[in-house]
Amino acid sequence: MKRRDEIVVGATIFGVLVIVVAGALWLSHAQFGGASQTSSARFRTVGGLGVGDPVVLRGVRVGRVKEIRLGQKNWVEAELQIYQDATLPVRPAIIAASGSLFGEWQASIVAFDQPFDDPALRRELDEAAAVGGQMWPGATLPDIGQLTAQAGRIAGDIASVSSRIQTAFDSSAVAEVQKSVKDFGRVADQLARFTQQQSSILGNVGTNLQQGSDVLAEAARSLSNSLARIDSATNEGELVTILSNAQAAAVNAREATQSLRDVMAVAHRNQESIQRIIQGADTMMTRIMDRRSTAGLLLGDTTLYVEATKAVMQFERLLADIQANPRKYFSFKVF
Amino acid sequence: MYQVITQRVADWLSGLGRVGHFVSDTVSSARDTRIWPGLTVVQMRRIGVNSLPIGLFISAFTGVVLALQSSYTFTGAVPLYFVGTLVGKTVMLELAPVLTGLALSGRVGANIAAELGTMRVTEQVDALETLAYNPFSYLVLPRVLAATVMFPVVVAAAMAVGVASGWITAINLLDLSTVEFVKGLQIFYNFKDIWFGLVKAVSFGFAVALIGCVKGLSVRGGAEGVGRAATEAVVLSAEVILVLDAFWAVVLL
Repeated sequence: MKRRDEIVVGATIFGVLVIVVAGALWLSHAQFGGASQTSSARFRTVGGLGVGDPVVLRGVRVGRVKEIRLGQKNWVEAELQIYQDATLPVRPAIIAASGSLFGEWQASIVAFDQPFDDPALRRELDEAAAVGGQMWPGATLPDIGQLTAQAGRIAGDIASVSSRIQTAFDSSAVAEVQKSVKDFGRVADQLARFTQQQSSILGNVGTNLQQGSDVLAEAARSLSNSLARIDSATNEGELVTILSNAQAAAVNAREATQSLRDVMAVAHRNQESIQRIIQGADTMMTRIMDRRSTAGLLLGDTTLYVEATKAVMQFERLLADIQANPRKYFSFKVF
Repeated sequence: MYQVITQRVADWLSGLGRVGHFVSDTVSSARDTRIWPGLTVVQMRRIGVNSLPIGLFISAFTGVVLALQSSYTFTGAVPLYFVGTLVGKTVMLELAPVLTGLALSGRVGANIAAELGTMRVTEQVDALETLAYNPFSYLVLPRVLAATVMFPVVVAAAMAVGVASGWITAINLLDLSTVEFVKGLQIFYNFKDIWFGLVKAVSFGFAVALIGCVKGLSVRGGAEGVGRAATEAVVLSAEVILVLDAFWAVVLL
């Protein structure tokens, strides 16, 4: 009985001991048989980082925090056990930060030279690196608790300001504000109309300016062309030729003017002759009208007209008969 | 009134002195190594191994309830993998040691008080003294040692079963996978969680056995005295367990 009790008790204790040890090792992510290295990092403060917290590289767990202790000059030294065969950055640094919103902390291995958005982080790393030695520089981000506490304070301030605003805004103030808003609306409408008008005017002015500038541009182009031509003409000696031609043209013009004067003198003389002719014709027509000459007499005597008409008619009949019977009137003989 | 208070304080100090004297005699009896080692193994089986079923039963259902209640509390507010965290932390730090201690205080404390009380009223203890046996090395030290050693064993087994039952509950009754539960279990784990519970269990075992022995050997009267001693042992053991629980929480956490 006693022997049996000893075996049962021993087996119970051994079994429970095995369970406890195995469970503790499993829960603490203990690693056996794998190669591991231990590195130290220096922090000004580690925040909520604790022994057993994970060490991650690019988000992958590669080790655990083995020990945290206070070092010289108030630095905090953390020993990191890295048990995976990970390729670390050439110059590693450690960032301690919350892993989630619920207080989980982790130490992230980063490259010391990589850029950081937070200038305080860079400053902390530079400060830790300036101490020198083999320890990696470390920096700590504020934890969620600090951020939420800060947010809480901000929310409290906002609540205080809101309370003061609520106190200041009584019913009359609200009415004044409403009136001010309405006035402001009217002012805004007027300003909008004024702006629209000014915009239209400015549009017209702009159009005119554009047209004016087009004309000026055209004039400038013409002037440029003229200048170019002048320049070209000056360069090639054509201007002298033009001036010579112009001088010759002026001489010709003077000669033409002289000829025109001569023509005008002849015309003047012809005019006098024409006047005389017209006067003679007028005299003649006056005599005819007065039935004083032969023509006047012919014109004033109807018998002559009738006789002449009859003679013409007879002459036409003669001609028609000659055409019809030419042998009656003409006879050709050679011999 | 003043006399009553004075009398009560004097009685309390007297009782404390008797306990101190009792402890001193118990420690002194450890020199008699011919007797207590063999008896201790027997008591380890009676107090420890035979108490495993009740301890594991309590712990198993504690794990189930913890998983379900934490899931109910966390839904919509906290990620569900924290069920693993809460089950692990609560079972290891508090519920396994305290609930097991309370259960064993009833089973072991009452058993010791009744057994020793019966031996006292039937003059078996006097017979041992007559035969030149030290009742402390024969009766007290084996029980106290056995309880001090075996309480942590029972509590450790209760921790494992509590976590395992919470795990099984989480993956079967909750929308939680094994990976998530284990993540929550491991994410805030600290080795202190285990040894803190075991240290408490050691103190609980020592206190329960000692109180049972004190109450049992101080029985006066017949069967009524035995029953009263058993009751007082259970009540006092439960009170001491809760006080020690608070004490260790203040000292160690």
